[in-house]
Amino acid sequence: MNVVVCVKRVPDTAESEVHIDASEKDIDKSRLSFGINECDNYAVEEAIQIKERLEGNVTIISLGGKDSDEVIRMALAKGGDEAMRLEDDAFVGGDALAVAKALAAAVKDLEYDIIFTGALTDDDGFAAAGVALAELIGVPHATYVKDVEILEDGKKAKVGRELEGGLMEYLEIDLPCMLGIQTGINEPRYASFKGIKQAAKKEIALKNASDLGLDASDVGEAGSWAVLEKFTPPVVGEMAEIFEGEPEETAAKLADVMKEKGLV
Amino acid sequence: MCAEEVGFVEKYDLLGCIQCGRCTGGCPVAMRTPLNVRCFMYNTQNEDRLEELSEQPEIWDCTTCFACAARCPKGLEPLEVLIGLRSLQIEEGRIQPTVRDALESIFKDGNPWSSPRAKRMDWAEELDVNILEPEAEETTDVLLFVCCTDAYDPRVMKVVQSLIKVLDAAGVDYGLIGDDESCCGSEVRRMGEEGLFEMCDEENVELFNSYNVNRIVTISPHCYNTFKKEYHGLNYPILHYTELVAELLEDGKLELDKELNNVVTYHDPCFLGKQNDIYDEPRYILTRIPGIEFREFDRCRERSLCCEGGGGKMWVETESTEERLAEKRVEDAKEIGAEIITVACPFCLLTLEDATKVKGIDEEMRVIDILELLAEAL
Repeated sequence: MNVVVCVKRVPDTAESEVHIDASEKDIDKSRLSFGINECDNYAVEEAIQIKERLEGNVTIISLGGKDSDEVIRMALAKGGDEAMRLEDDAFVGGDALAVAKALAAAVKDLEYDIIFTGALTDDDGFAAAGVALAELIGVPHATYVKDVEILEDGKKAKVGRELEGGLMEYLEIDLPCMLGIQTGINEPRYASFKGIKQAAKKEIALKNASDLGLDASDVGEAGSWAVLEKFTPPVVGEMAEIFEGEPEETAAKLADVMKEKGLV
Repeated sequence: MCAEEVGFVEKYDLLGCIQCGRCTGGCPVAMRTPLNVRCFMYNTQNEDRLEELSEQPEIWDCTTCFACAARCPKGLEPLEVLIGLRSLQIEEGRIQPTVRDALESIFKDGNPWSSPRAKRMDWAEELDVNILEPEAEETTDVLLFVCCTDAYDPRVMKVVQSLIKVLDAAGVDYGLIGDDESCCGSEVRRMGEEGLFEMCDEENVELFNSYNVNRIVTISPHCYNTFKKEYHGLNYPILHYTELVAELLEDGKLELDKELNNVVTYHDPCFLGKQNDIYDEPRYILTRIPGIEFREFDRCRERSLCCEGGGGKMWVETESTEERLAEKRVEDAKEIGAEIITVACPFCLLTLEDATKVKGIDEEMRVIDILELLAEAL
């Protein structure tokens, strides 16, 4: 069972304050830390577990600059076998479709049974690149996948999709297919520092647009259907209340409000 | 698993063990968990069993307090065998999610608390502190290493804020690293992540040596112990803050004007006491505070009871439902009539304070760092 996993390096914005930069088309990333997109981390683990159960190999693909090598190496340290990084100035500013075109070109010559992406990314959150990729290469897909079972003949998979309220929708899907992996499907393993260092010896194949047989007009902003206009911060609504003070005070105030509104 | 690669017998001198059992007899967590370190000293001699032994959950019960090593008549360090077994699990990637997240956070953001580097100096927002410049021409006396827990934990932040107040009052020439400060790696090593610890060692030594200072002062005994005993190539002497403050009091540079009428005891942190023989300085400081009535725990100095905060235990939950050692400790403090338990370690502060809440005595008993008491006495 050969699995391709598409991963993205994203800024960690959960704990940090996010500021829009002067261009209004990006955020100030100078003080942010970066790592693998959360869903992608689960996708890597799922791929490695499938390989451990059924043999085969795991190929990691990422579109991004040199910094993305860090997340690729971490995936290789956990058990990935091969890796490819797609980098070209022409890729900049691409929407989910433009990214999918580059990924489709990258997997064209690979032998695979399943392609995993994360269900969505922590930065743009379109939840669309994987679906677009499946359409472009003509394979079935499922998203928000929280359970994968390869059926005995290896030609089909039973896939559980997590819907609202934790409801699971089970479906059978033909292989090869594309699955968008949701967090919580497994418990991602730890990549030790020594493991990451050893993984640095594995080659990461670098591909630009022309290596992939793509014209600059197919990818990046030129090849996108949606183009980013600008970011704006959320407006504080009339009903919003910001508690100020020491953590003990603000926590107590929050608890009072929750009790008052019957939420606890 | 390859025995030649691991070499437990040679690495930990296992054949030197006479199975006397003083390690297990003195092990504080043996009171509440199934951990029997003597058995591990024996069983790990069979290197075919290492994988199986590394999967036993009790290897994560050890707090690396050092009681076993301090008591071993053969000078062995049984706790290191448990750390070695943890390393095997780390290399397999099979660790508790909380341990994984702490280690990944250190690799990514230089702290185990999953907090961004950009927030490392938030504790000093309202303070006027000096950030050191590397390769400065003028020498600064003290490089103050803050510690991740002091920098990010809202409770422990008050300790470093108190230290700034004390240093300013005494006119100490000090500077901080700022946002570039990273974890010392003490807990990293004890959770068995040898490779990541080596990174902490190399990167911090290079950073520290780039500053022009006379000495480095730490707040946490865990940072202190690691810098002093486990780092390679540091150019500067390492002091714990209790050593610096005792010196300031002795030299008459720090004056304590306010009288505090409290019954106070002091809990010796394992990494300061048992592991580094710093017992007198904390007591010297406390007994210089006007009005303080100082009382000793029965189990004090080298017999001090571990709070269970070290050895990575801030990120590992023990399955045992037996009373925590920190709970025993605050009960002991109550018995001797202490109103305040003072500590000199961020982990002891958190575990003991938590224990007063569990015991329902947090209204009548305060757990504070020596520095907070000092700041009150200024």
